Amino acid sequence: MAVSRDFFESQVLDLLGCLHGVARRLTCHDADAEDLVAETVERAWRARDTLHSQEAFRSWIFRILNNTFISERRRQAARPQTESLDCEEDGDEAEFSIFEQLHQPFLLWFSTPEQAFVDGLLRADLERALARLPEAHRMIVVLSDLEELNYAEIADLLGIPIGTVRSRLARARCKLQKILWQQARAYGLKAAQPGEDAAEHPGRTRALQAQPEDHGGGS
Amino acid sequence: MTRPTLDCEQVIAQIFDYLDHELDAERSEAIEQHLHQCKSCFSRKEFERRMLAKVGDLRREAVPDALNERIRGLLRRF
Repeated sequence: MAVSRDFFESQVLDLLGCLHGVARRLTCHDADAEDLVAETVERAWRARDTLHSQEAFRSWIFRILNNTFISERRRQAARPQTESLDCEEDGDEAEFSIFEQLHQPFLLWFSTPEQAFVDGLLRADLERALARLPEAHRMIVVLSDLEELNYAEIADLLGIPIGTVRSRLARARCKLQKILWQQARAYGLKAAQPGEDAAEHPGRTRALQAQPEDHGGGS
Repeated sequence: MTRPTLDCEQVIAQIFDYLDHELDAERSEAIEQHLHQCKSCFSRKEFERRMLAKVGDLRREAVPDALNERIRGLLRRF
C-alpha cells in the first residue's frame, strides 16, 4: 500500500516511546538503543511498500526493529556475541514461581507474603532483573508484558509458531521471577517458615544501588 | 454441551494463557468456575496478575529529548 509521509511520521512519533523502550531493553545500552531506533525508522521508511495495512503499522515496525537488532548483533565483530538468540531449554527456571516459595495457605485471609513481595518490588529491581534475562526471553517479555502484543502478533513478528510463543513466554516469566527471587535473597530476604512471624519477613526488596556483583549481570 | 471441570494443576498450567486473554470462551469460563471455588488458585491468579502489572508498569518512560530531536530531524529529511 502507498504510505504517505504524514501518516508515517504521525505513526512513528506516536510509537516513539514504545520503540525506545523496547530498544533500550533489547540493547541494555542507552546510546545503542537510540541508534537502533533511528536505524529502524530509516529502514521502515525505505521498506514502507511492504506495509500491508495501516492497522498493521505497529507490529510491522516492531518486526523491523527486531530484525534490525538481530542484524546489528551479528554484524558487530568487535563485540563478540556471548549468548545465542535462541532459547535453550531451561532447567528448573521453567517452573519457578515466587508464589510457590512464599505462599502459606493458612494466611489466605491475612496479609500474604507473596503479595507483599510484589508490592515491595521497585522499578529498579524489575529493570535489573529484566536486563539479566537472556536476550530471547527478554525480547518476548518486552513484547508481551510491556508492549502488550498478543501471541499471534509476537509469533508473526519473531517468525515462530504460536505454541513456541506460549511456552517461551511462560519460561521467560518464570526465569524473571527466579532472578527477582535471587536478587531479593541477596539482600537478606528470608521466606517465612511455619511458626515464624510472617511480619518479620515482609518480602520487601530494596532497589539495588551499589550492589555487589552476584550472579553475573545482564548485558 | 457440558462445561469441562478443571483441577488445580490444569488451571495453573493455563494461568498465563488465561491472564493473556488467549483462551477461548469455553476454557476461560471453566477456569473462572474453578477460581470461584478454589482460594489457592485464586490467590495464585491474583499474584501472577499483579506481577504482570508490575512488569507492565515499566513501559511508562519518557523519550529522551535528544532522541526526539534526532527522529524528527530524520523524518524531515524523508
